[in-house]
Amino acid sequence: MFECQEISAEHKDLIHDVSYDYYGDRIATCSSDQYVKVWDRNEEGKWILSSCWKGHSASVWKVTWAHPEFGQVLATCSFDRTATVWEEIVGDTPGPGKSGQRHWMRRTNLVDSRTSVTDVKFGPKAQGLQLATCSAEGIIRIYEAPDVMNLSQWTLQHEVQCKLSLSCLTWNCSLSRAHPPMIAVGSDEPGSGGKVFIYEYSENSRKWIKLDTVSCITEPVHDIAFAPNLGRTFHILGVATNNVRIINLTPTDDEQSQQSGITKLDIQTVAQFDEHGSTVWRVCWNVNGSVLCSSGDDGCVRMFRIHSKTLWKQEGVLKGDGNQVPTAMEAAQSGPQHIPQGSPVGSIASQTARYIKLGSISQPSREPWY
Amino acid sequence: MENNAKTFLIPNDLCRRAGMGASWRPMNEIVVFPYEKRSVKQKDQPTSFASNAPVSIFHIRRSVILFHPILRKLVNESNGVFLTLQASFKTKPSDLKMEILSISRQYRSIIRACLENLQDEVGKPNITVAERSEMHNYITIFYSVECVWHLCEILFIDVIPGNIVLPHLLDWVRFHFPKHERNAAILLASNSEGLELEEEFWPTVFGNLLQGRIKVVRALLKQHSAANSPIFQLVQHLLKSMPTYNVMNNVSVSEFNLQWRHWVMDIQQQIDSKQFINNHNLNLLMRLLTGEEEAWAEIQSQCEAWYEFLAGWLCYSETTVKTFELGQYAKQSIKKMRMQNHLRHLDRVLLAAMEFDMLLVIKEVQEMTENGWFVSHFTDLLHHSGRLSSLEKEVEGFSADKLRESFILDYGTTLVGHKSLWQVGLSYLDHCPKDGLPTIQLLLPRISFDSEAKVHKLIREAISRGLKNVAQSICKVQGMRSLSRGRLGNALTWALKSQDGPFTSYLADKYLKQYISSGELNNTDLLDNLGSSMLASDRLIFLGKYNEFHKLYQEGEYKECGHLLIALMVSKIVPKFFWPVLLSEAIPLLESEEIVFSANDTFTVLHCLEEKEEIPELSDKISILRLAAARNLSRALMYEAQCENLV
Repeated sequence: MFECQEISAEHKDLIHDVSYDYYGDRIATCSSDQYVKVWDRNEEGKWILSSCWKGHSASVWKVTWAHPEFGQVLATCSFDRTATVWEEIVGDTPGPGKSGQRHWMRRTNLVDSRTSVTDVKFGPKAQGLQLATCSAEGIIRIYEAPDVMNLSQWTLQHEVQCKLSLSCLTWNCSLSRAHPPMIAVGSDEPGSGGKVFIYEYSENSRKWIKLDTVSCITEPVHDIAFAPNLGRTFHILGVATNNVRIINLTPTDDEQSQQSGITKLDIQTVAQFDEHGSTVWRVCWNVNGSVLCSSGDDGCVRMFRIHSKTLWKQEGVLKGDGNQVPTAMEAAQSGPQHIPQGSPVGSIASQTARYIKLGSISQPSREPWY
Repeated sequence: MENNAKTFLIPNDLCRRAGMGASWRPMNEIVVFPYEKRSVKQKDQPTSFASNAPVSIFHIRRSVILFHPILRKLVNESNGVFLTLQASFKTKPSDLKMEILSISRQYRSIIRACLENLQDEVGKPNITVAERSEMHNYITIFYSVECVWHLCEILFIDVIPGNIVLPHLLDWVRFHFPKHERNAAILLASNSEGLELEEEFWPTVFGNLLQGRIKVVRALLKQHSAANSPIFQLVQHLLKSMPTYNVMNNVSVSEFNLQWRHWVMDIQQQIDSKQFINNHNLNLLMRLLTGEEEAWAEIQSQCEAWYEFLAGWLCYSETTVKTFELGQYAKQSIKKMRMQNHLRHLDRVLLAAMEFDMLLVIKEVQEMTENGWFVSHFTDLLHHSGRLSSLEKEVEGFSADKLRESFILDYGTTLVGHKSLWQVGLSYLDHCPKDGLPTIQLLLPRISFDSEAKVHKLIREAISRGLKNVAQSICKVQGMRSLSRGRLGNALTWALKSQDGPFTSYLADKYLKQYISSGELNNTDLLDNLGSSMLASDRLIFLGKYNEFHKLYQEGEYKECGHLLIALMVSKIVPKFFWPVLLSEAIPLLESEEIVFSANDTFTVLHCLEEKEEIPELSDKISILRLAAARNLSRALMYEAQCENLV
């Protein structure tokens, strides 16, 4: 069974991205209404709007948190061709026990792109404070803050030309030091040819080098995400294209790659799910990379669970349903009892910490493990 | 198989009209929100959904009943048993049979204690209707869990001499259908004759008969008003002479079967001679003893479940049934009760167990909705008993280790997501040899903390698992938090623990700058006790030494003070912004009554002064410094000359 808690996000238009801080205690949202909002969870589990500001002069596509080691830092990217780094400043504490005034300060505006910046992601913290952006003009840019205590200084370290208009980007967040930094990007340009490219940072040449193109994906790609790596020898990439793809990237140790110092990848599509009908919009991973979540044209959110290296199975579906918004009283009655199949129950639109059991349709049948 | 996935409905119309996007919230929540795919090629304008109507975000999580406070004891105590088992497996993996059985019983007694707790709670008058129905729900779940576990213990874990399973089966049924025993006790306690007038009398007699409690049946019949009639006497006699099978008393199975057949024949004769024809109930009782099909068909409506029927039926027709024959009899009794098409989940699990389909049992118990508590502990137990690995040969691609680990990993991960059960969760992950440590490495740093006590706990857990980098990262985060709250001393303490050089330098700079603006060094007790941790960064060494200088100065140890100052000046670790302060510190020493600086020292001061001339903050002090240095130089030169003359 699932239960759900509703938080009114107060955006005036659809939300483009919702991002959680490292601990899941803070939410950042961004929207077509050009605003960025930050929500904090209080001790009772309620979400309180702590900051809200106009971040850009156009739609804000993505918002993402830096690792808390660098403080409270956000990056956003927008249709207005910029990416911005924000840092939360806590004013002088007015007195013991009280928290100071907080506000988010624009630390830097990255204005190198001549077109819409479509994605922004902080790199793994082992590499210091790095930020990668990709843009519609087809360029990946890697920025770095050389002094992590001074976020107003960012240097553009690398510019990688991709030729195709880029829509999404992901860092490989492997825990192993044996894996050099890796980025995968996706393009939503129509036309033939591969749409997912894998890059790796080569320590020798101090350059980002294209390792491979995932040639089996030729449809436009809308989102892409590396799974957190549990010390595996291979990397798992989730791709949102005309279907959900799960791809294993296995570095191979042949002589050639050892000589050149450039990783050679063995690319294998291990799962493909067509349930979304046509276009898949977003993909994201849970904390330990065992479940992939996707959303798409059919209006559903689908979950896929790993069963073995090459076996993935759909586990659950979430679907919007407006006809069944219950009255407050129904919701109150629907307390802890198991909801009979086919009778959805929802929540009251209030900011309480209460979770409401979700109704479901179709028979439960969890796949066994073996 | 794709169609099998369960669909859940999000009660929001905007989600339906626009579609949804999803994100993950650490640890275990999914977040959905109304979302529409926009492309950069589209014009950037408000979507058709833009309005003043609220846009909501929905946090979706699995409902975890184990997080309910009333089940806390179950979670914690079973954790203890789990760890005991892992430990004893490590130390003496050869002789585990008895240990495993005792562990299994411990688990079951924990479930029973939990059920008792729940029963008590349900009985309390001050709980709401919703709470009560929730408790009832838990009782149903754990009652089923106990029922399955008990049967599996008999079949998979216990070593039954001669495979004679019936006595165990009866024990199991007696525990799960305690009604008859309870009723019998009530009836007998009333100690009145003519018990047959009680409505419950005959159902209780038959109930106890089905559970093999012959003594109770006889006791009840003695309280019948006609107990002294010859026919009742005959029944008493027949019941008393019923042969019982016991492996221990050296009767072979065939010998017993012979005795049994004689006994049945005896009863049959009495029935055939229409001895009991006047008493329907007694007649039925006797026919049941002979295993007559029609009699059993008559009694089956009194059975709540097919396995209650099964136990009774076997008791009087297949007393020496072997464990491996149970499956076929189970199917027969289900068929007799006409339940094939409406088996509940519990029925299916029990049937699978009796058919010895261990994998099916494991598969089914995953749906017990107790969030994996049962399946993980149970699979772990089976694995240690060696039962699971024996299946590896039979089922292709099956790995007992993997199966066990996957459940424990899931269970541990679930617990780590809870704010007070995270340590229990970690102890499960510790026993996942393959993915346990990497999972801990991913999850542990994400456990949110708001108190120093919890930070220390987290760090201890990280260090004890050799995850030094995780511990350091946690320290750094706590340092950054202290810094943002303006607590410099705390921040420095954590920075030192995190061994982050640049961060400590940054903080040391903050101290020095504070000193410049306020003229006071803060947290001197911390700085006094830096010791070797000072070596974290050059800037911190400087701060520490400078603090020492201050202390010496206050104590009036001007000579040593002077040495330290000169040492600092030549050390090349003085931050640029601090030179004006450092040089001004020299003035009182140059001017002191007693000569502090030697001629050489004074040259050093002058040399530094020369080098740093351009620093603007120094401009108003240069002349004073030059003057003081010149005066001190003359004094020092004269003094040193005198000393040389004396020598």
